Amino acid sequence: MSAQPELVTVTIDDRSVQVPKGTGLVETAAAAGIEIPVFCYEPRLGAAVGACRMCLCEVEGMPPKPQAACTLTAQDGMVVKTAQTSPMAAEAQEATLEFILVNHPLDCPVCDKGGECPLQDLTFRYGPGSSRMQFPKRTFEKPIPISPAISLDRERCILCYRCTRFSEGVSEDGQLVAENRGSQTLITTFEDEPYTGAFTGNVTELCPVGALLPTQSRFLIRPWELQAVPSVCGMCPVGCNVSVETREGKVRRIHSRNHPEVDEGWLCDKGRFVYSHIYARDRIVDPMQRAHRRGFGAVSWDEALDEAERLIRAAGTRIVTALSGSETIEQAFALAQLLRRGVGAHSAVLPEEFDESLAAYRLPLSAIADAQAVVVLGDEPVVERAPIVDLWIRQARRNGARILDAADKLDGLDRIVLIDSGDGGERIGRLAAKLGLAGKDGSGAFYLPETANGRGVVDAWAAASDDEPVDPEPIGLLIVSGDEAAANPDVRALAEHAEAVLAITMFQGVVVGWADLVLPGTSYLERDGTYVNLEGRLQRLRRSVIPPAPDELAWISKLAERFGVGISPHPAVVFEELSAKCYGGISYADIGEQARLPARSGVTAPSTTARKAKADNSGGLRLVRYRPLFSGPAVERVPEIQFQRPAAEVELSAKDARKLGIANGDEVVVGSNGSSRELRARLSRTLRPGTVRIAEEHAEGLQPQVEVSKSNA
Amino acid sequence: MAEAREIVLGGAADHDLTKLAEYEAVGGYTQLARARAMEPAAVIDAVLASNLRGRGGAFFQTGRKWSFIPKPDQNPNPHYLVVNADESEPGSFKDNEILQRVPHRFIEGCLITAHAVESQHVFIYVRGEYLEAYEIVVAALEELRERPELRGDVTIVVHRGAGAYICGEETALIESLEGKRGQPRSKPPFPAISGLYASPTVVNNVETMATIPPIFQLGPEEYAKLGVENSAGTRVVSLSGHVERGGNYEIEQGVTIRELIYDLAGGVPGGRKLKAVIPGGSSTVVLTGDEIDVSYDFDSLLQLKTAMGSAGVIVMDERVCMVQLGIRVSEFYEHESCGKCTPCREGTRWMTQILRKLEAGEASARELDLLLSVCDRINGKCLCPLGETAATAVASYVAKFRDEYVAHLDGGCPFGDDSPLDHVMAPVAQHHHSPAAVEVPVG
Amino acid sequence: MTLADEIQKVAAQYPETRSAVLPALRMAQERHGWLSTEALREVADALDVTPAYCKSVASFYDMFHLQPIGRHVVEVCTNVSCALVGAQQVLEAFEEELDTRAGENSPDGTATLKTIECLGGCGWATIVAVDGHYRRYVKPEDVPGIVEELRNG
Ligand SMILES: Cc1cc2nc3c(=O)[nH]c(=O)nc-3n(C[C@H](O)[C@H](O)[C@H](O)COP(=O)(O)O)c2cc1C
Ligand code: SF4
Ligand code: FES
Repeated sequence: MSAQPELVTVTIDDRSVQVPKGTGLVETAAAAGIEIPVFCYEPRLGAAVGACRMCLCEVEGMPPKPQAACTLTAQDGMVVKTAQTSPMAAEAQEATLEFILVNHPLDCPVCDKGGECPLQDLTFRYGPGSSRMQFPKRTFEKPIPISPAISLDRERCILCYRCTRFSEGVSEDGQLVAENRGSQTLITTFEDEPYTGAFTGNVTELCPVGALLPTQSRFLIRPWELQAVPSVCGMCPVGCNVSVETREGKVRRIHSRNHPEVDEGWLCDKGRFVYSHIYARDRIVDPMQRAHRRGFGAVSWDEALDEAERLIRAAGTRIVTALSGSETIEQAFALAQLLRRGVGAHSAVLPEEFDESLAAYRLPLSAIADAQAVVVLGDEPVVERAPIVDLWIRQARRNGARILDAADKLDGLDRIVLIDSGDGGERIGRLAAKLGLAGKDGSGAFYLPETANGRGVVDAWAAASDDEPVDPEPIGLLIVSGDEAAANPDVRALAEHAEAVLAITMFQGVVVGWADLVLPGTSYLERDGTYVNLEGRLQRLRRSVIPPAPDELAWISKLAERFGVGISPHPAVVFEELSAKCYGGISYADIGEQARLPARSGVTAPSTTARKAKADNSGGLRLVRYRPLFSGPAVERVPEIQFQRPAAEVELSAKDARKLGIANGDEVVVGSNGSSRELRARLSRTLRPGTVRIAEEHAEGLQPQVEVSKSNA
Repeated sequence: MAEAREIVLGGAADHDLTKLAEYEAVGGYTQLARARAMEPAAVIDAVLASNLRGRGGAFFQTGRKWSFIPKPDQNPNPHYLVVNADESEPGSFKDNEILQRVPHRFIEGCLITAHAVESQHVFIYVRGEYLEAYEIVVAALEELRERPELRGDVTIVVHRGAGAYICGEETALIESLEGKRGQPRSKPPFPAISGLYASPTVVNNVETMATIPPIFQLGPEEYAKLGVENSAGTRVVSLSGHVERGGNYEIEQGVTIRELIYDLAGGVPGGRKLKAVIPGGSSTVVLTGDEIDVSYDFDSLLQLKTAMGSAGVIVMDERVCMVQLGIRVSEFYEHESCGKCTPCREGTRWMTQILRKLEAGEASARELDLLLSVCDRINGKCLCPLGETAATAVASYVAKFRDEYVAHLDGGCPFGDDSPLDHVMAPVAQHHHSPAAVEVPVG
Repeated sequence: MTLADEIQKVAAQYPETRSAVLPALRMAQERHGWLSTEALREVADALDVTPAYCKSVASFYDMFHLQPIGRHVVEVCTNVSCALVGAQQVLEAFEEELDTRAGENSPDGTATLKTIECLGGCGWATIVAVDGHYRRYVKPEDVPGIVEELRNG
């Protein structure tokens, strides 16, 4: 987009290094292999603030006092001396550390951060050998929960303001703030309110000391004992790159593994905290079968596979398979081969419909930040579906982009990004074609699928056979793959009409009472395989812990054998075959740990198969029911994030609210012929007039058109 | 015998210059018309020629500061003039009096400056506690409402602070004006390039503004002849502490501190001996009674490693304990530290702790060294000058009154409650907003 | 006019509404006496910022009361210049008359007594701000009269 940046030469500690002009001094030094220690500096939080004074260096030609290197950028001929070569800088850095430690409790032995603590490390490298402080330290009540998921130890806090800058300038939630002034300053939320929102957990990773820590792993980890597995998150279609950290064979923590094009090192709280669902009390570890009169009980794997074979043979082509979109593509491909090639059962309930023409407008998510205009269509709040995309849009706005809810006023703009959560992407496919975005650098379109790997699953299902599916009547066997499919009311409705149900799920609660045979499912944390994210990027899941039961691919491979279908139990082999069909033959090695985005494909006509929103003109307000980020079988099983689940609220546009005489926080009745719900009104400045929005779990029984009125009570 | 020379406050003794009519009767607002008839660049040149330096403390050449503002074609953002009326430096109360007695001269200066830097938006940031001054300035602006030819296309908004010394620092002031916690920004970028709302901004002190009309009235060259070299013109000096007649005195720079104290302020009450003088507000290095023959100008004070700062002269007689002074000054900076940068936030608190121990007679010689070392470690490491001046001021008390500090080491304070600064309750020591952070007093 | 309307009016003076946070907090405090949780929420709603933000800002500045206060506020400057001429004795006289300590409310609710940093009237010491209005040259012997006045007012 811009011309080659001018290179400048900077001398740091007698080493000279060339970097593009304007590179931060901290990065410049790093390029020369020299450390400039920092606490507050974190470029992802915006412009440097120069608060902590850890980075003080000597810079020739500037006033003869230590300079905060983090606030300076590389200029040609600059000569910088760090603590390695400048007594002035060494003294300054030692001074800063001494001041930081003056009120620090030095409780490292009982601190979860110990071992990976920048304060510990920098004190070791640059700090004073002993303390000259003999006065009472500042004391605070500690630790206090700033939410059920995060605890705060104010005595350990060094007031670098990283967390509050994140809250104000990245997630823009404005909830985590500093109060008071000077040495009385402390970090807090408003009164006793918990720090709520999609991204709060990031502050635990930003905190350079053990002040903000996840409650989930409190006293459970010693950082040096953690083993980190590079994987991707399986909770939404963004596919943030994560490091799954385990100790003694258990997942203890999930940290970000910055992919600058995908997540920029941020995670949502679902992705960060949901891992403990794999230890849920109702986790299924053995196959279960409903036996006549004996009820539901565990059976051996041999018995279970025999029964599965029997059910499949009995139903033959009259099988319907409901997929979740959380399967790896390998697993979905294997299942598809078993059923489609093994018995000719082609009918499936797919998790997504997806307009393939969008591949011509492919972009990395990071391009949103540089857009001049971002058009966000669809009724689903972006943050609920693909949380990190919300952060990218916020960044775009801060960078000066226009954020629009309709594709107009785009004349003369170069970099346009379209984002849609409806229509399987068909609507933005058409729009992108009309705007000619295929040929425009930095322009493109993103459809936000509902499920983490729905796109990949659709690809894999289709790749197994070219035969057209015929919907069977009656359904001989309904195969339910995954807990999300099992929790889907539409799938449950099909089950009513099926002669038998085979479910593959992790949790008993989801299937008890309606499945005939249940095979244990595994989590994305327990599998090897591949996901396709919303950009179209193939990313590797790596097994972080051993599942309590064989994973799906292992037994599907065995079962397939009985139908004469050869499927490898090794994901890499399955992937190779699938890749040859759908992904240009790339291999696992090509994907690597930090996956690249495939090139754009040629322009094709938008598909017309994607489902249409049902038009309804019966008057009243249009109800948008959305699936909240914090919902679903996994979330329900993690106590620490229950507070994040949506309140019983209805969102109203300010205009409609005024018309109806409703104020923010009023109790209202939302009704549609026959059924009604009592909810609290929340006014939205972004919602379109004529619509109301309610989280799925609070919209039960409501029709697509509703009336809203103030509660009389 | 040194005398007052009233230019900024000129005429206010005989007229009620808070009234537009009376101000106009003594020639008020005629300089505005003259300046507006000039090109902005010519106005800047005139102020450059006058050698005016900022009266807020940093002593920066006013004309040069204005010349840094990019021309509208270099930066399309609006230009802002922000007037610093946050006067909170202990010992200084000159801007308070200027605003109350010559509000129209001050406003005329603002309007001339707005013309010079091509700004249509003036914000006057008045210290929150200055209720009287605020009301007088608002009333004066109210009078201008009827006079579009004077107002021109300039809007003036008076913005009240809310109690925070640091908001006098120009970037903290800008943050505060933007509705934030008043914490200084790291410079560069300087306000002239990216100030209020990230736009080109001039920040000037009240007295600086009120000096602009007289400069045009006398003519820049005539003005430059007042005072001494490098310190042209007059200053309104605030005298307080142990003097007979505390108050503001406008003088030509170059009068000695002794003359200020004895000729203008009537000397030390009760015939007591003068012990120490803080020459420019509590941020400046102290002078001993032997050093007061220094001329009150920038260069002369610099030779003594101190400064005119905001021209607040605090006089102390022989009864005053210098350790107690250290505590009180340290407590002030501890209370006013914004808390952004580490050395100031942690260091000022530590300084107070050590000083209290000294005063209680419980400190050792090593701790006296520690105090100096802590000051030294704050100095030069902070984000803004607040922390640094706290350290240099307190260190200067030790340096100049070392014997007295040493005398505290065994047996405690030789002055006790004979010193008026004994056991003074500073705000930092009283129960504060925060229920969580409870200070544990030492000693 | 509701507080929200008043705030909006003030906000219109600024290129960015957030600049109105300080004036808005002051107006809320003038209405309610102090900045209670509800008052902070009102300001937050009017300016489209979070209550946490409002409290963060309010707690930075000394003039905002985050705790209930007495009917009057008495602030005694105890910075160097005032202290040199007897501010501490003035403070103690107030403590005595109001039967309270610096930083607290008098038991009869008459006044909140505080010490305050330099009020910018050093040459006219001791300065005492009563409900924001400066009194100059206050001596301990003036205090009973002032307190009497406050009790009746
Ligand atoms: C801690 C601190 C407090 C300050 N307080 C004031 C003040 O109250 N009034 C003021 O005019 N300048 C104050 N200044 C100086 C301002 O930053 C700025 O230099 C000045 O307003 C510029 O105006 P001038 O050029 O007209 O002097 C302060 C500086 C610091 C570092
Ligand atoms: S020196 Fe003090 S007042 Fe200045 S930025 Fe640092 S903490 Fe804030
Ligand atoms: S890293 Fe530079 S000041 Fe904090």
